Amino acid sequence: MEGRIEQHPILQFKRKKKIKFYFEDREIEAFEGETVAAALHAAGIRVLRHTPNLGRPAGLFCAIGKCSSCLMEIDGIPNVRSCMTKVKEGMRVRRQKGKGDVL
Amino acid sequence: MNLYQAVIIGGGPAGMMGAITLGNHGVKTIILDENESIGGQLVKQTHKFFGDHAHYASTRGFEIAQKLDEEISKNKNIEVENNATVIGIYPNNTVVYTKDGQEHKIQAKKILIATGAMEKQLPFINSDLPGVYGAGAVQTLMNEYGIMPGKRFLIIGSGNIGLILAYQLIQAGVEVRAIVEALGKVGGYDVHANKVKRLGVPILLNHTIVKAIGDESVQGAIIAKIDDKFQTIPGTEREMVVDTIAISVGLTPLTELAEQAGCKVEFIPELGGYVPIRDERMRTTNPDVFIAGDLSSIEEATTAMIEGKIAALEMARDINGSDTKEEIEEELRTLALFRSGPKSVKIRSGLEKMGIKISIPTKPIINEKKEDVIGKLRAVLECDEEIPCNSCEASCPFGAIHIGENLNSTPVLDAEKCTGCGTCVNACPGLAIFMMKENEEESTVTLGIPYELLPLPEKGQKMWGLSKEGNYVCDVTVERVVKYPNKTNIVYAKFPIEFKDTVRHFAFPKKESPIVCRCEEVSLEQIEKVIDSGVTDFEEIKRLTRVTMGPCGGKNCKLVVLGILSRKTGVPISKLSHGTSRPPVKPVEFSVFKKGGDDK
Amino acid sequence: MKSNASVVIIGGGIIGTSIAFNLAKLGVKDVVVFEKSYISSGSTGRCGGGIRQQWTSPMNVRLAMRSVELFKRFKEDVGMDIEYYQGGYLLLAYDEKEMADFENNVKIQKNEGLDVELVTPKEIHEKFPFMDLEGVVGGTWCPSDGHANPQIANIAYALKIKEMGVDLNTHTEVKGIDVQNGKIVGVETDKGYVKTNVVVNAAGGFSHEVGKMAGVDIPTYSERHQILVTEAINHVLDPMVISFKKNYYVRQTMHGSFIMGQSDKEPARGNDLGHTVEFLEEMAPKMVHDFPFMNHLHIVRQWSGAYNVSPDAQPIIDEADNISRFIFAVGFSGHGFMLAPAVGEAVAEMVVYGKSKTMDISNLKMERFKGKKISKERNVV
Ligand SMILES: Cc1cc2nc3c(=O)[nH]c(=O)nc-3n(C[C@H](O)[C@H](O)[C@H](O)COP(=O)(O)OP(=O)(O)OC[C@H]3O[C@@H](n4cnc5c(N)ncnc54)[C@H](O)[C@@H]3O)c2cc1C
Ligand SMILES: Cc1cc2nc3c(=O)[nH]c(=O)nc-3n(C[C@H](O)[C@H](O)[C@H](O)COP(=O)(O)OP(=O)(O)OC[C@H]3O[C@@H](n4cnc5c(N)ncnc54)[C@H](O)[C@@H]3O)c2cc1C
Ligand code: FES
Repeated sequence: MEGRIEQHPILQFKRKKKIKFYFEDREIEAFEGETVAAALHAAGIRVLRHTPNLGRPAGLFCAIGKCSSCLMEIDGIPNVRSCMTKVKEGMRVRRQKGKGDVL
Repeated sequence: MNLYQAVIIGGGPAGMMGAITLGNHGVKTIILDENESIGGQLVKQTHKFFGDHAHYASTRGFEIAQKLDEEISKNKNIEVENNATVIGIYPNNTVVYTKDGQEHKIQAKKILIATGAMEKQLPFINSDLPGVYGAGAVQTLMNEYGIMPGKRFLIIGSGNIGLILAYQLIQAGVEVRAIVEALGKVGGYDVHANKVKRLGVPILLNHTIVKAIGDESVQGAIIAKIDDKFQTIPGTEREMVVDTIAISVGLTPLTELAEQAGCKVEFIPELGGYVPIRDERMRTTNPDVFIAGDLSSIEEATTAMIEGKIAALEMARDINGSDTKEEIEEELRTLALFRSGPKSVKIRSGLEKMGIKISIPTKPIINEKKEDVIGKLRAVLECDEEIPCNSCEASCPFGAIHIGENLNSTPVLDAEKCTGCGTCVNACPGLAIFMMKENEEESTVTLGIPYELLPLPEKGQKMWGLSKEGNYVCDVTVERVVKYPNKTNIVYAKFPIEFKDTVRHFAFPKKESPIVCRCEEVSLEQIEKVIDSGVTDFEEIKRLTRVTMGPCGGKNCKLVVLGILSRKTGVPISKLSHGTSRPPVKPVEFSVFKKGGDDK
Repeated sequence: MKSNASVVIIGGGIIGTSIAFNLAKLGVKDVVVFEKSYISSGSTGRCGGGIRQQWTSPMNVRLAMRSVELFKRFKEDVGMDIEYYQGGYLLLAYDEKEMADFENNVKIQKNEGLDVELVTPKEIHEKFPFMDLEGVVGGTWCPSDGHANPQIANIAYALKIKEMGVDLNTHTEVKGIDVQNGKIVGVETDKGYVKTNVVVNAAGGFSHEVGKMAGVDIPTYSERHQILVTEAINHVLDPMVISFKKNYYVRQTMHGSFIMGQSDKEPARGNDLGHTVEFLEEMAPKMVHDFPFMNHLHIVRQWSGAYNVSPDAQPIIDEADNISRFIFAVGFSGHGFMLAPAVGEAVAEMVVYGKSKTMDISNLKMERFKGKKISKERNVV
């Protein structure tokens, strides 16, 4: 069982409003209140970027904004921590290329 | 700038309890926490807590958080600022934080820092691959967002967090293939262990992860058995088909803000790593700054809450002269009670180092006397376990090894009689005897080790000298290889004399090297190379390799790098310099400061 | 630690290690360096790394030009890549008066043979279209200016001099200079005493204090300068850009991060004074205005270091006249990194031959402050 947990012996997940955002131009469904990284994981996407020097795939590691492993390009801005950024309707998310372009 | 009587940074159990206590004593308090809601680690905990009834025992973690939160919202003296990331503490008790892309500044008479801890890292090959997570990240995804990052898990580390995570994963309906543990016993409570064992999760003791497999993300893992010297035992490697690996090898306090506030920190491994020095009542070396919870020592929610309360009581005394003496005494007694059991041995000895005494059983001091015969090739007996065995004594043709009548006694060498023949090295079933000779003129040492692996090294070859834990120490050059019919051959190699007590194994250099610093992609090999080139100051290593200079500010790799340096130089971590913490604690966009400080 | 030294250098910053390197190159044996902390712990490890030849004093221009020659060969000479990059320096002017000054400076600089030119806002825009040039009336541009990584450069020198036989002692603080009958006879450190007749003061922010140890009153003091670094992004900015009017300098390192700083309105005096949040508040609006792409760039770390300031903002390189063989290379006033290769060469020559040979640096002597009107280097941020 991968993705969103529907049944849990202890917890109940109250999901908020359903929204859509884009990952590499692909439409992805998410719920308000989820972080970008969480929503991508729910869609089975774990590779969030490729590292600038060695070109290695990298993904979520600490999930609390402390390790910078999850940097992505979000709405054109590079080096955004996808584990700390909430998804928004229509948001455009990309795997980060290299160190990120600002121009 | 808005002036508060008290600011609390971090809204975990320590901070929440601190706030409630301050509020109850009429102190105007604000809690700053970077999450959407307060609760800290508790929010992710779905299991019932131990402890005593006064401290929410047998309540589930997230429910404790809810209860404390309710109390806080009822208290008019307490203000809660969520989504507020503190990025620095500046002069005059000025706390700067960001919220909604804007900078805010507040000043406080007293500050309570309760920022908790962060997970330790474990570098192995491909540990930077997507699908390798800190245990906390899996808990966040699973218990906060209800999202499962994988189907088949491998957990590294059998402390309470690893055990609880395994249980929680199974609860959420996925498979846990195994928990691997490097030590010979489970790290966490037996009850937690029994819980997962009952569910059919094997806890593989004396095992470690060798590497993660996968191109784009984890598709498997190679684990292997390790011996009592933490070396992987060749031939025991095996592949596990898993898609997710969770690391839970312990927590370490988040001291950056305390350091910026001028609080002295020291390396006390028993308490989790670098911790701020503080007195019994949680006051740091900066009289205006207090700490509590995991930041002061990696422990439990219960002790975090009591510490938060003690700190707050002392702060209230400072701020408005509240008479809290008796309450403090009472809380100190409760705390001492919590820490009196056998599970708190580490905490007690850690606190002792800080001058905080809780009576601990004293251990007899063993007086060891070693007669070293420098410069002569002789046997070095490293058999200090009381095993019934005397093969060394029996094998020595010159009567240089004595065990005596009791087979359990450990062997003693008469160095005068030892000729350096090596027969005992070859004979010892425990591979616990080595040959050694110092070459003083050239500051090197020649070490002979029993070698039962293939291929056999050759004269002149460069190899790695490894420590008892199997970690790289220095390069060695093979001098000679003596073959024996029983296949326990002796390999002699030369290396710098400083490492004569550290190197105990030789291995062929490995080609792959794990990434230690994720931000700057610095591998173990690169760090070791720099150290080998003679740069042994952490500050200089940092500047040459960029480790700890990336966006995370060293939160993840600093301790690992210090560990490598300590291992290679033999200087304990507590004696190494470890850099200065500077704001911002987390990367902040320029736009945050564009308008100039917006006073709260 | 040796007990006898031919020369003792106090300070293992870029200046001290460069002098040691040049002494070793000249074949001087038994050179001893004392550094009270780690290598690059002083101003060098905290500096912006800019290497500029566009100065208003001809002496500074010449020293910087000689240094650029040496920086170009640094990798071969010293053996490490220090991320040296000749991306140019762009200086911005905001009114006619500033522009007139710039024109005058360019004349002085061209006279020394520097490849510098005046540029119009249009030309600047063509080179760097991403900049907002509001209010800019012109500038100067020198393509052979550039920057390097000062920390690596400092450590590179340190590793090299050790290899060349210099006795480099880190975490060793000089506590006193033993002067008897007007002659230096030794140096006292917290790890012991060394006999020597020659001492070089390269103590950076502590130059005045070390001067006093020998009874020499060097007119320098230290003041705090703050600086910050951002996360790395792909390369966009070639030159170091300076605006004296808006009070900033900024460059992008080879690693991709941006390093930038300013002078505080009233710089606090002293060493190791920490940092303020006001610095971030002052830097942010002007940087985001002139470089709009920085709006969402993340600041990763802020810190500060000392400018060791002299009365005319030019270095003081001299030998004391009242005691025998006390030499000092201090007061770099915020531009000592870029001058270090040439200064090291000149000071090593002073030690060995009594005066510098490659370049005449006699007008950096302390006597220039005696009674005369001080003509100040103006191009300082
Ligand atoms: C899996 C697991 C199981 C556990 N089981 C038990 C158990 O059974 N019994 C038990 O007693 N204990 C248990 N614990 C331990 C307990 O949760 C911790 O000891 C306790 O939460 C520590 O409390 P704290 O307030 O110090 O820190 P935390 O709970 O970590 O709270 C710190 C807070 O500070 C915030 N913060 C950090 N930095 C900043 C910043 N710069 N700006 C703003 N906010 C910041 C954090 O986001 C966080 O909300 C468990 C822990 C884990 C992980
Ligand atoms: C924010 C900032 C930005 C700058 N930007 C630039 C720039 O872009 N370009 C540029 O060229 N320059 C720049 N500078 C200036 C430059 O950093 C200095 O001029 C240069 O580093 C001076 O080198 P130094 O070796 O004299 O001093 P330092 O690097 O300070 O070295 C002196 C050393 O002496 C040691 N010492 C002092 N007293 C004793 C003692 N008693 N015993 C033993 N050791 C002692 C100190 O620990 C120190 O390491 C900047 C400076 C700052 C602060
Ligand atoms: S996963 Fe660590 S910062 Fe986002």
